[in-house]
Amino acid sequence: MNEAQILAVVQNVFRDVFDVEDLIISNETNSEHIEDWDSLMHINLVVAIEKELKIKFNLLELQDLKNVGEMVKLIQDKLEK
Amino acid sequence: MNEYRISDLSVGLQASFEVEVTNLMFDQFLAMSGDNNPLHLDPTFAKERGFKDRVAYGLMTSSFYSKLAGVYLPGKNAVLHGIDITFRKPAFSSDRLQVEGTISFINEAYGQIEIKASITNGNGELISKAKIKVGLSV
Repeated sequence: MNEAQILAVVQNVFRDVFDVEDLIISNETNSEHIEDWDSLMHINLVVAIEKELKIKFNLLELQDLKNVGEMVKLIQDKLEK
Repeated sequence: MNEYRISDLSVGLQASFEVEVTNLMFDQFLAMSGDNNPLHLDPTFAKERGFKDRVAYGLMTSSFYSKLAGVYLPGKNAVLHGIDITFRKPAFSSDRLQVEGTISFINEAYGQIEIKASITNGNGELISKAKIKVGLSV
């Protein structure tokens, strides 16, 4: 799965979690761009991505992520292992 | 009260308890919620609507999901993050309910668990089912 494909999957997860059907995200998107993206919604996002892609994150991997693009790269690394 | 920590938990871990629906619960839920819909207060009205007796408030019986998380699974370290409930059949006063939950997913990074839970009556009929998200404070 390439980065664009992963971004498309992640975008669907965002749409489902935030309940916004036409939500568009990019690699630059971060919590400042989505009003409802607080700490609890962040947990919901991570859990939904883990379930959708059947991967597991640990806290160290997650705490330094600055935007969606870095999350996509992390996901790609995990899928390739 | 259980005091599970995230490291103690695993997918498949279960908890359950029984509880009887009482008239006092109806009174207390009415006082708390202010929901005075006659379906929950007036047996005659409820029978006219096709029920055998006044119907227990759905959110009253669902409060047992709070007990499931806060007392049993994981217990003392629980912080409720969310709950999705689907109601299937009505409950009535004197019903003896079985409340059950099983951990279905664990997010170790943020210490959140998901519990698939259900409430059944003494005849084994499903009253409601729920997906509960619970964070652990430790």
